[in-house]
Amino acid sequence: MAEPATDRGTPPKPSLAVLVRNTFPVLMLIVLCLAFGLMSDRFLSVNNALIVMQQSSVLLVAAVAMTFVIVSGSIDLSVGSIVAVSALAAASLSSSFGAFAIGPAMLVGLACGAINGALFAYGKIPSFIVTLGTLVIFRGVVLLFTKGAPVSISDAEFLGFYAGRTLGMPNTVLIALAVTGLAALVFNQTVFGREVRAVGGGERVALLSGINVTRVKFGVFLFCGLLCGIAGLLQSARTMAATAQLAQGLELDVIAAVVVGGTPLTGGMGRIRGTILGVLIIAILSNGMNMTGIDPYLQNIVKGVVLILAVFLTIDRSKIQIIK
Amino acid sequence: MLAAENISKSFGGAAALRGVSVQFAPGEVVALVGENGAGKSTLLKVLAAVVGSDGGTATIDGTPYAPRSQLDAEREGVALVFQEQNVNRALTIAENIMLGRLRDFRRFGLIDWTALNRAAQAILDRIGAEFTVHDDMATLDLGQMKTIEVARALALEPRFIFFDESTAFLNHAEATRLMAVISELRRQGIGIGFVSHHLQEVFGIADRIVVLKDGRLVGAHPVAEMTEARLYEMMVGRDMVGGLFPSGASTMSGVPVVALRDVTTETAGPISLELQAGGIVGIGGLKGSGGEAIIAALSGSEQVFSGQMLRNGRPHTPRQPRDAWRAGIATLPGDRTGEGVITEFSVLENLTLAASPRRAAGFADRPAMRRIAAKQIASLGIRTQSLDTTVNSLSGGNMQKVVLGKCLAAAPEVLLLNNPTRGVDIGAKAEIYRVIRKLADAGMTVLMVTEDLPELLGLSDRIIITRRGRISHEFPDGARPSEEDAVKWMM
Repeated sequence: MAEPATDRGTPPKPSLAVLVRNTFPVLMLIVLCLAFGLMSDRFLSVNNALIVMQQSSVLLVAAVAMTFVIVSGSIDLSVGSIVAVSALAAASLSSSFGAFAIGPAMLVGLACGAINGALFAYGKIPSFIVTLGTLVIFRGVVLLFTKGAPVSISDAEFLGFYAGRTLGMPNTVLIALAVTGLAALVFNQTVFGREVRAVGGGERVALLSGINVTRVKFGVFLFCGLLCGIAGLLQSARTMAATAQLAQGLELDVIAAVVVGGTPLTGGMGRIRGTILGVLIIAILSNGMNMTGIDPYLQNIVKGVVLILAVFLTIDRSKIQIIK
Repeated sequence: MLAAENISKSFGGAAALRGVSVQFAPGEVVALVGENGAGKSTLLKVLAAVVGSDGGTATIDGTPYAPRSQLDAEREGVALVFQEQNVNRALTIAENIMLGRLRDFRRFGLIDWTALNRAAQAILDRIGAEFTVHDDMATLDLGQMKTIEVARALALEPRFIFFDESTAFLNHAEATRLMAVISELRRQGIGIGFVSHHLQEVFGIADRIVVLKDGRLVGAHPVAEMTEARLYEMMVGRDMVGGLFPSGASTMSGVPVVALRDVTTETAGPISLELQAGGIVGIGGLKGSGGEAIIAALSGSEQVFSGQMLRNGRPHTPRQPRDAWRAGIATLPGDRTGEGVITEFSVLENLTLAASPRRAAGFADRPAMRRIAAKQIASLGIRTQSLDTTVNSLSGGNMQKVVLGKCLAAAPEVLLLNNPTRGVDIGAKAEIYRVIRKLADAGMTVLMVTEDLPELLGLSDRIIITRRGRISHEFPDGARPSEEDAVKWMM
């Protein structure tokens, strides 16, 4: 077969579509800030910036965790419930553990992640189904233990550390940023991070190239659980209590943030940086709409439109043959 | 009479058909034969409008026949039965047969099951099927599913039916039954074209044999004028590829680096085999006849049911491909884009997928990755703009070199190659052959499974032929059998 022996020449110049796709999150963020800034003079202030960051710290940590899961080609619907269970662990043990209540929160998160990961990777049940089940189960655990009543946190050491500030920055924000930084390091610089991308980009190729795909899949869910444990602690510190309804529906905001940040649900590709932008977009959208007094009943509609718009503008249709 | 004139077709610059003319008459069975890549399947697919043609014309009984889609072709009375299994196990037998015509069986918007079943059963009766529409899909074997596909083609009341290697995945009994169905269709005056690698089938049923080679028509003769020997000669052709294959100084001796003892897998066996260092062992045979199963077993991607594999005399029991890589066995898979490379990833990422150099604490060693990748690019002559170019922008040959580079980057002792130059242009082919020869001369143990006959004969130091899951013949080291001689053991 006489295939031309030459290369396909230079790669095509990036088209407008590619340009939009790559810069969409940044553009979106700038547009939102300008729009809200014009509509409300309180929006563009240091104080409001801090509030946005504080509001988005839980979302950020959970969305970073979800980025790993989505890049690996899976999905975790149970993140909100893991956050709630971990928050419950932190709140219940805050009086005896003080600031170290982060330990049990992380352990509980890890345990939840291990259950998800084992059922998915070793039990070979699709992650969507596994986590749809554990979404309900983990929430049920919270209900069982709280019996619907909130567990409030009164430990001075706990509150002093997690609700406090360092150099004017809320500690929860600093913790969220530190976790994000570490996760980005894992994602970009470690062999594990490479393997996560390889599994999501081409599971069969990864397997045949000697990557232990099952272990990578398990590891991804373990990692996601761990980070959601930390997110649970941050959540409990922000609300100073754990309730049965805590972080309910968080998974939708998390998935929205990851996708708006430019990570396709098809796996293999994605950036932590994009997810940070996605989180800011989701958070600023809520904050800005509240500040400008947009009807709360309208806000959900706007959020949904933004999500669909983001995917509509950024999806690379040339590579997708079947859309499910 | 369906007459096609001067049909041409190329795929991404590679010519698959070069001006082929062929006729199909009602009540006649025409067998299309030729080596892999000769253009047989492409010809049938063009005629059934599954793929478009680049040039040429066709007529049916003198009126122009230029279908724009498969549906169009079916309306004009030309149907194709594919090589792959194409039935939906979740539907009933009748639904599968009438898949394209379900709308004809509506009554008040609902499906009229009685009419549907009756019509489907009529077709099954017509071809003498030994099952009925009321049987459960789950009870059917592969041959019976093929019969359903034939019935589906018949539901469109075609005048011509083409079979594209329809017996490739069938066992002997199933294939025999399909041949009986084809005979029955001929009796009913339908024109039939079929592609087959099994020469018994060709001589058993065809009225006329059409031989293709490299996309050209070699000849069309009544079966009575043909002998097997003459057919081989026409298939293989006289021109031998001379300078393509480097001559080797390989000597295979000493203790076996890899050994198989009565190994059976789901699709092959029992197979026994020994590989020594410093040579290329080539395994030839029809697709699915055992070579790929040997590679799959050694590389840990297919389960071994019984028997034993040895690596340097010790048991080799890979539970997943990772274990084989760790044992120094690298595998170049047969499907470049589905198994070899992640096409959206960069050349750098792909080349280091298996080697994956690391520092302490699980950090990827980026400088080492770049070094390894650059070395493979240089030594294999991979033409890429940069390390960060995505692999899907490379040509097939360069993409294949990336897969080979991925294997070599892991510094293996044993290299398993599954059709190492499939779909690769002649220039890249020669380069890949040189690299493989050099590796073998330097002491690498190379096992190559290939459907490419010249490659098997030209590059191997030892030639093994498989047939229906077993080794049918092993030529002595250094022997250069003729193509006819090698093909004889495949059929």
